[in-house]
Amino acid sequence: MPATDQDWAKAYATQALSDLDAREKLARSGAHKCHRLHFLQMAAEKVCKAYLTASNGHSNVRKSHAYVAKNLPLIARVVYSSVGNRMAAWEISQIKDLAHEIQLLAPACDDGDVRLDNSEYPWQDRVGNILVPSEYSFPNIDDSSQNRTIVKLIRLIRTASESYIR
Amino acid sequence: MMKSKIETANNLAQVHFMNEPKLKHVRLLESIDESDPREPIKLLEVVEGTIERGIEPILFPADPARGIEYPVLIVEISPSEYENIQNNTSGLTVHGWSVGSELPA
Repeated sequence: MPATDQDWAKAYATQALSDLDAREKLARSGAHKCHRLHFLQMAAEKVCKAYLTASNGHSNVRKSHAYVAKNLPLIARVVYSSVGNRMAAWEISQIKDLAHEIQLLAPACDDGDVRLDNSEYPWQDRVGNILVPSEYSFPNIDDSSQNRTIVKLIRLIRTASESYIR
Repeated sequence: MMKSKIETANNLAQVHFMNEPKLKHVRLLESIDESDPREPIKLLEVVEGTIERGIEPILFPADPARGIEYPVLIVEISPSEYENIQNNTSGLTVHGWSVGSELPA
């Protein structure tokens, strides 16, 4: 019997949790920031795909990487709302900014050739220098545990993924 | 006691307005199966500044532990997409939906 879209949604959510676990292990072992961000981007993309697959179909969702900027803030709003939490306006704005930055970590997402920085492959800047992810600081994303918004966002990805595989 | 779909939809709209200052309208989306409890609550949410991707529904499973007894489907669109939908509903009718009443903040 072929898999249903619901089966695919659960599979995406399961893999999102595994990606988050990998990110945590990398963080504890002192891996380069690009690797932590790579797994964060993958987890964020997969939780969005879990929520999109059930209503749009696996075949329509699987190929794109460009779901995070729009859908992660929406998932955040609904998940926080469901537990009766209220988010501050600044927090909503920060989550939107972070979701956009996380989406850009995928090499295929470059904001129309404007943002070539990504967590996987070297790229060339405007003056011809080759930049390497493992040597780049990713100044637009503070993924340290001191950044309350990213800590909350990571918790959200975990909660949202778990709620799909219950 | 289990809340009705419309009560749940109203509660959801209120908390979504609280958590998204750029949310301008919440409209119900209706299908012919609305009386079926497995049919999700469907909300069309108009958010200023959202990325325009057309009708891209996102489905949240029911969460009875948090008082949400029905699956919830949300379509988030921009004000300009909302305007287009009011002139041409084909993006919704392809899913079997029509635009229903507006839910208050």
